[in-house]
Amino acid sequence: MRPSRTWPIHLALGVVAAVMLVPFYWVLKTSVTGENIFAYPPSLWPRHPHLYYFVDVWYYIPFVRFLLNSVVVSAIVVAANLAFNALAAYALTQPFAGKRGVILVLLSSMMIPFQATIVPAYLITKDLGLLNSRLGLALPLCSTIVNIFVFKGSFDAVPRSLIDAARIDGLREWQILWHVMLPLSTSAVATNVILSFIWSWNNFLWPLIAIRGEEMQTLPLGLSTFLSYLENTTGALYAFCVLVLAPGIVLFLLEQKRFVEGLTSGATKG
Amino acid sequence: MTYARRRGSGFVWLFLAPSLLVFALYRIIPLGWNAVLSVERWSPFRPASFAGLDHYEEMFFHDEVFWRSLWNTVVFMTSAPIAIALALGVALLVNAPIRGRALYRAAIFLSYPLMPVAVGIIWRWLYDEKVGLINYGLISAGLISRGIPFLESFEWAMLAVIVAAVWQILGFFMVILLAGLQSIPRELHEAAAIDGAGRAQRIGRITLPLLRPAIFLCLIIGIINSFTSFDLIYVMTRGGPNYATELLITYIYRAAFTLTRFDYAAALTVVLFVFLLALTWLANRASGGEAGAVEAAE
Repeated sequence: MRPSRTWPIHLALGVVAAVMLVPFYWVLKTSVTGENIFAYPPSLWPRHPHLYYFVDVWYYIPFVRFLLNSVVVSAIVVAANLAFNALAAYALTQPFAGKRGVILVLLSSMMIPFQATIVPAYLITKDLGLLNSRLGLALPLCSTIVNIFVFKGSFDAVPRSLIDAARIDGLREWQILWHVMLPLSTSAVATNVILSFIWSWNNFLWPLIAIRGEEMQTLPLGLSTFLSYLENTTGALYAFCVLVLAPGIVLFLLEQKRFVEGLTSGATKG
Repeated sequence: MTYARRRGSGFVWLFLAPSLLVFALYRIIPLGWNAVLSVERWSPFRPASFAGLDHYEEMFFHDEVFWRSLWNTVVFMTSAPIAIALALGVALLVNAPIRGRALYRAAIFLSYPLMPVAVGIIWRWLYDEKVGLINYGLISAGLISRGIPFLESFEWAMLAVIVAAVWQILGFFMVILLAGLQSIPRELHEAAAIDGAGRAQRIGRITLPLLRPAIFLCLIIGIINSFTSFDLIYVMTRGGPNYATELLITYIYRAAFTLTRFDYAAALTVVLFVFLLALTWLANRASGGEAGAVEAAE
């Protein structure tokens, strides 16, 4: 079965990988030189790399505030997802009247993409008085159906006898969840963290709608505002891009396997 | 069990409450509200009055931008089959027992989890008319003599955003298809090889049929994507030039939050939602209801 020659495969994959990676290289190069914004033809290698554009980012925009907003919103989303999804999933492992109905509601809600609700979502958030706030930014993402089913799949694998034993020992339901279920579901926890973090960190449409003014802007929103002010006139835009992309890329490279598993299970279990 | 039952199931609803509240607020109520809004005349500055099907009439008979954006959404959807075909080729390649394939997989998947806003900015830069890498490459190769303003040109803009969309999703489809490939028992291929089937025959007769569920899963994800890809379009073209890349979702955003026509945007949303449901239902039926029967790659 082993192909006799592997170099054609390496060649083809090398080309594909290059095409996939060149955009990263190009933005990185521009962020440290800025040379081909003004010069033509562009040089393929950075000639006089410097970090001034990264310093510029600090002066052009309130980068730290955007970062803080993004971090706070993502932290709320991740924490809420872990808590709410685990609670809901644990409830769904129990027999109770109306369970089928709840599952049906969840499965059909999954068919409603957030993008198809933006007008009422805006009006509801306005009525709640949460426009222009970090909590308002986080709220729509605070529980996600895919992640509930990720937890449920993991909880279903825990033997019932273990739960019954814990009950006989007098543990309350939330204690069973905390001391029995969650320790046995580390990979579901990781998937929840990764998915909810990515969704919240990258989220753009909702902040674009829910935020007015600079105070509460998150990184993607700040990036898009920066683009509309300065267009392609400064390498700082690309330095900003690099700064925004870096955490995700580093996280991905460190936790590659979990990342890929988590992101695909998000789709396949849905 | 008797002990457990005695405790009652009150806690179940307590545990479900936070999640159900979030979904009620941001999925279920909006869906109903949206439908109601679509048959009303309403704006933040005016009390609501019943409008019947006026908005729908305007949309279907008097709004060229609506038809344009609907058509564009369908065109943009072609990025799904393109990406799936490419991803299938790549998946077959990285499934081969070669050295460094984990590295190739990582390199190809890397673009997927990244922020679409940043991805859009990177591609704007690559497409730049004067100093963009793509134009430089094409000119150097002698294919064109002057740079093409891809994103500012009516003819090229749609193709340009489709390429960027394919670039971002390719790795994701690759992983799903790879999981499908790895679930195919090796014995099937070995038996076929012994029976004298060539590599092409084995791919056509064994691999592709058994990959059907994975391929349809990708297709459904691709369809949903074409209805929800707001970020990339907004950053790269804002729906321009002259509505060349206006998708339904970008038009809805513009109608609601730029033109402040919430009621009309709600009607547009109803059309988007019905269209999306119909297409995913069709795709699901065509797959025999087996799309998604794939487990994540180990």
